[in-house]
Amino acid sequence: MRHEHIETNSALMLLLILVVISIGGLVEIVPLFYINETIEKVDGVRPYTPLEIRGRDIYVREGCYLCHSQMIRPFRDEWLRYGHYSLAAESQYDHPFQWGSKRTGPDLARVGGKYSNQWQVQHLRAPRSVVPQSIMPNYPWLLDHDLDYSDVAGRMRALRATGVPYSLTQQEYDANIKKFGKDAADQLDINQAQDSLLKQARDKNFDGIPSRVTEMEALVAYLQVLGTMVDFTKYDEGYFAKFR
Amino acid sequence: MAQSSAFPAEQYNFDIVRKFMIVAMIYGVIGMTVGVYIASELAWPFLNFDIPALTFGRLRPVHTSLVIFGFGGSALFATSYYIVQRTCQARLAFPWLAEFTFWGWTAGVALGVMTYMAGFSQGREYAEFEWPLDLAIAVVWVSYILVYVETIRRRSQPHIYVANWFFLSFLLAVALLHIFNNLAVPVSLTKSYSLFAGVQDAMTQWWYGHNAVGFFLTAAFLGMMYYFVPKQAGRPVYSYRLSIIHFWALIFLYMWAGGHHLHWTALPDWVSTLSATFSVLLLMPSWGGMINGIMTLSGAWDKLRSDPVMLFLITSLSFYGMSTFEGPLMSLKSVNALSHYTDWTIGHVHSGALGWVALVSFGSFYHLMPRLYETKLYSQTLIYVHFWLATIGIVLYITSMWVAGIGQGLMLRSFDDYGNLAYTFIETVEFMHTPYVWRALGGAFFVVGALVMAYNMVMTVRASRIERAALEAKLAAKLAQA
Amino acid sequence: MFDWLLWFTRMENSKPLALVLFFGAFCGILIYVFTGKHRAKRLESYKYIPFDDDPPQSDSSRSGHRPQSRKVMDNE
Repeated sequence: MRHEHIETNSALMLLLILVVISIGGLVEIVPLFYINETIEKVDGVRPYTPLEIRGRDIYVREGCYLCHSQMIRPFRDEWLRYGHYSLAAESQYDHPFQWGSKRTGPDLARVGGKYSNQWQVQHLRAPRSVVPQSIMPNYPWLLDHDLDYSDVAGRMRALRATGVPYSLTQQEYDANIKKFGKDAADQLDINQAQDSLLKQARDKNFDGIPSRVTEMEALVAYLQVLGTMVDFTKYDEGYFAKFR
Repeated sequence: MAQSSAFPAEQYNFDIVRKFMIVAMIYGVIGMTVGVYIASELAWPFLNFDIPALTFGRLRPVHTSLVIFGFGGSALFATSYYIVQRTCQARLAFPWLAEFTFWGWTAGVALGVMTYMAGFSQGREYAEFEWPLDLAIAVVWVSYILVYVETIRRRSQPHIYVANWFFLSFLLAVALLHIFNNLAVPVSLTKSYSLFAGVQDAMTQWWYGHNAVGFFLTAAFLGMMYYFVPKQAGRPVYSYRLSIIHFWALIFLYMWAGGHHLHWTALPDWVSTLSATFSVLLLMPSWGGMINGIMTLSGAWDKLRSDPVMLFLITSLSFYGMSTFEGPLMSLKSVNALSHYTDWTIGHVHSGALGWVALVSFGSFYHLMPRLYETKLYSQTLIYVHFWLATIGIVLYITSMWVAGIGQGLMLRSFDDYGNLAYTFIETVEFMHTPYVWRALGGAFFVVGALVMAYNMVMTVRASRIERAALEAKLAAKLAQA
Repeated sequence: MFDWLLWFTRMENSKPLALVLFFGAFCGILIYVFTGKHRAKRLESYKYIPFDDDPPQSDSSRSGHRPQSRKVMDNE
């Protein structure tokens, strides 16, 4: 066969191009869905609660991922600065993933619990009031806007369609109790979505305003859960290396 | 912009080319200006003004989409529609569909950036458009493929010229990438959740992200190079046989390289190693293409002194060579450990985007203007002015980003005598202030250059109109005498 | 269904396989493209395609089409 056959036949050329460009993606992506070791076997990782989902939505809306990563690499400096390196399991319910590609600000994969709710609120409202050299924008409107949680059940249903184990039926609910415990299973139940969102906001009062549920409430709830689900004291150091 | 009436029935459909070229310039100037603005926000954060739509997080996708899709995309539409007609010696097929691609693409980009400012985003870099826009773009893209392929099928030239191969691979690859990367479950018109999660989602996204660079910003612009460099030089491309190797190797290797954006992450090591290997291999076809382009001038180097358009084209190839050397270097795991998450990446992208993509587009537009408007370019001097503004801008940009990126990388990993971290994170932010100022300045140089070009373009179009009117008046006078 | 793909993910299998396949194909293409005087001449002749549609005065090899606007002047 001559190369002229290809360059004088547009259909053949299109077909060959399609074959050539498909190979790389097929070899690298498809196996990720089928290899068991892609995601570590680890306890504690649960889907986000309704309030945390809404917080994550705001995180995506404001484009936080453009300056903050959520993926700690296995280096000594990152270990000292941020903590244990991130596991694939920890973002297994992240639609979309928010690993990020740039650290204009620090990594947030384990920011949960590092600072108080009060600090987070103040820092989001006016970063330079707590970190004078910061170049982060102020986000005062997060406190002004009440959180719209009217469609939170719909959001959970959409996430359920992608494979996140939010429960609609009794059977799914029971399975969640087994897997995540009663308290978590209640929060993952789509039928009680709004109630559990309000309950979490009332109990924890992330934004410091008891009378309102603001966007700040949701975002801080999300930030405070980041990286806290896995209890690393339960595993010895070599365990996760098996999966890499 | 209704030139259609000014130019009577032409052999080729140049009307659509003119339109896309003008829109590319408009989106280019706006997009680059937004880039300078967000660069300034990083240097002087008060510029965020506490206005949601103006914060860095929302404007950054506005910048990337405007320059990649608005400027780069429209430039590709313009040049590909021009090249396919001239190398196939066939008029563009389905003129109404081509018209649709123009309005669809232009409106899609405009609507997209407005939705970003309103806070609608998929949260995937370079694919932030929400699902209704993704669908609309897919429709426009399929129309583009139909117009392009049908024009090739109607060619009067038996051979499909190499520039068109690159455009064909770009058309197919972008369709594939766009569709798979944007698979999502919608919640409402303005919100959706991606179908994949975590590690699979990351790999899909960077398979998309890297090949958006590979096919949108490289393969297609190589198609541009394979036509405009020989035409401007007045001599054929250095080696046709090299271009065959270049083409197949490039489109094959690119698709493997996406994983190098995820080194040291939770992505399995075998994928990232494989990606790094192929990224290094990619150096060969990249440089093959660069050599093919630059050596086209072999024996006619004096053109670089006499022809400013040639200067643009050859300099763009030099930057292409430089950034395709830097890329494989940064894809090595040991280098990536330092460079990833820092501004080195940003600098690398811009040496490709400004140095290669923008300069080759500018050069091609300068080549096109006199041919599309049947007149001389308004000013050759202004082309030189543009060239130097752009080059100084790029050099300022990438050197300041090397300083910021490598500096931050080194600071973050340095320890004191007791094994503690030598610097806090915020100290690195402080350190980056000066390079950020220089970067914004470099970007401003580049924008001013683009404005000079826009002025040159406007004046050329005006001259063309005046000449045409004079010609018609003369014709009418003669007819009246007869 | 896709279990057979697992074989390819084992580095000790996939590396040599990929190397043999791709390097073989690459060498094949190289040999094809860069050997043979006739083939070389034939292939290199296609690089003149972009110049085929230039106006006749600057191109003698093939008949180009005249831009329409020129016709107006001819009819004067």
